[in-house]
Amino acid sequence: MGETVNGVAFAILAFASIGGAVGVLASRNVVHAGFWLLEAMVAVAGLYLLLSAEFLALVQLLVYAGAVSVLLLFVVMLTLRRREDAVRPLDWSLSGAVLALLFGSMIYLGIANFDIPVAEMPSTVPDIAALGEILFALDGGWVLPFEIASLVLLVALVGAVWWSKEDEK
Amino acid sequence: MVGYWQLLPEGLVLTGALIALFGEFMPGGDRGAVRIGAALAFSAALIIALDGSSGTLFGGMLTFDGPARFIRAGVAGLTGVWLLWLSGRDIAPDEPRRRDAAALALLSAIGGMVLAASTDLITMYMALELSTMPAYVLVGYRRRDVAGLEGALKYFLLSLLTSLIMLYGLSFLYGSTGATLFADISLSGTGALGLIAALLTIVGLLAKLSAAPFHFWAPDAYAGAPASAVAFVSTVPKIAGAAAMVRLMHVMLPDEPQLQWILLLAAVVSMVLGNLSALPQSDIRRLMAYSGVAHTGYLLLALSSGTQYGYGAVLYYAVAYAVPSLAIMLVVAEEGPALADMAQLAARRPAVAWSVVVWLMSLIGIPPLAGFFGKLYLFRAPLEAASTPWPVAAVVVAVLVSVVSAGYYFRVIRQMFLADEPDSPCVVPNSVASNIAVGIAVVATIAMGIGIAPLLELVGL
Repeated sequence: MGETVNGVAFAILAFASIGGAVGVLASRNVVHAGFWLLEAMVAVAGLYLLLSAEFLALVQLLVYAGAVSVLLLFVVMLTLRRREDAVRPLDWSLSGAVLALLFGSMIYLGIANFDIPVAEMPSTVPDIAALGEILFALDGGWVLPFEIASLVLLVALVGAVWWSKEDEK
Repeated sequence: MVGYWQLLPEGLVLTGALIALFGEFMPGGDRGAVRIGAALAFSAALIIALDGSSGTLFGGMLTFDGPARFIRAGVAGLTGVWLLWLSGRDIAPDEPRRRDAAALALLSAIGGMVLAASTDLITMYMALELSTMPAYVLVGYRRRDVAGLEGALKYFLLSLLTSLIMLYGLSFLYGSTGATLFADISLSGTGALGLIAALLTIVGLLAKLSAAPFHFWAPDAYAGAPASAVAFVSTVPKIAGAAAMVRLMHVMLPDEPQLQWILLLAAVVSMVLGNLSALPQSDIRRLMAYSGVAHTGYLLLALSSGTQYGYGAVLYYAVAYAVPSLAIMLVVAEEGPALADMAQLAARRPAVAWSVVVWLMSLIGIPPLAGFFGKLYLFRAPLEAASTPWPVAAVVVAVLVSVVSAGYYFRVIRQMFLADEPDSPCVVPNSVASNIAVGIAVVATIAMGIGIAPLLELVGL
């Protein structure tokens, strides 16, 4: 792929992801905001593809564009009884603006004063088998956090069953 | 023990949790499953206490050293005490089923035990989630009770938000240093980004420890929860959280000395706000929630010193605070959450009333109880490290509000000994198991004070 083609693709995807983020903030309907979020996440997956990180792109699509967006829409569907409830006025309050300004300037200052290390891109991308080895190697692998995550999911399961099941007779 | 056998205590606790989940098939049913869980938790604590080996596992993700041994034994032992009490009592008057609560508590204990040993960002975060997530369910354990569910939801949303802030900080930390192992993380030369990362990370932990200004979820969540659940939720995850805080400060404070001022500020605000807000409370759950905020303030005060001495004091006091606090809430769960429910406890159950006196004395800091030595070391740490007058001023504030705290603790004592008999005093049925649990807590409070020397050696004081 030529440099120009890459650049054009990047410009489109970057515009799409930032535009999606603006769409999330600017739409007054919560459902529309959810769909804008979906659009932004798909665009970010495209950016990962441009960087030849196929696995990351796939995970981004599956987890964020798939699970998270669907979950968001489910929550909206289950909690908002009437169609009008989904429409919220935009928040132009002073406290919101101050918070946004503070957060934005904090992040800007942090990044501006820090020379981000420029990593050398590897010529070949490690395949998924290598990823699995990293994940499950005992020494220097990630097997421990992985197993703790399974216990966290067990807790979530037990809690969900406890709250949703009927009383015993 | 060597190698992966060092995880044997966690394995025992996990076995207990799985047994509790299938409690209906156990001999003795619900109660039997909880007893097995208590026995396994106690044996885990015993193994940790007796096994003096140290080392690292999973390529440095877990480090087993003196502090880890002390905190892991404390978490497992306190979980055992709580389960032993639970095997004799219902978790709430209208909620007879307790095996789910036992399983959740044991899973939370695993999280706490791993957290105390974790020296890796991702492991630490996952263990922190595992230790706090069961707490949401325990807070809302009475699922027909709207106030309890509201408290649980508040706790869940706030805890989740602060977890995410912390995760954001951890991602900056990884991004600016390129390492997740604590041993490889160095914030020197990262400038403002490193400070931001450290700040965001600390916010998450401060909220889990219910330090001001992130404390406001605690009184509401605890006031809606069954007192027995508060006993566990407000103590055991906190011990492990304090241990994680110490490990993080080991990494961050040397390169980011400004954090000291933030910790000091949070400490002073927590101490003053917690103690003053606790004064007018008439619900003991709220009172202990605010008292917990104040005690977190004392911990942060020593943490801000950034010395080995201060870290050791924090670890010791985390457990020295948790034991009496858990035990008082267990008695509250038996008698009733209102301050008036404690009236004339001395006449009805003198042994229990005197036990409560011992625990309250320890929380105030009367020698020779654990709380006295804990506070002594906590307050000495910033004095010794002080290069400016501010830490000294903070210690003066700490001593003053400590005296104020005696005001509300003595209100409980006055209720128990001097108040008029209520019209319809509740009759608490006798239970050998919960009496033993209460007895263990009394012995531990006194023994941690008298036999302090080996414990101090363990935490590196």
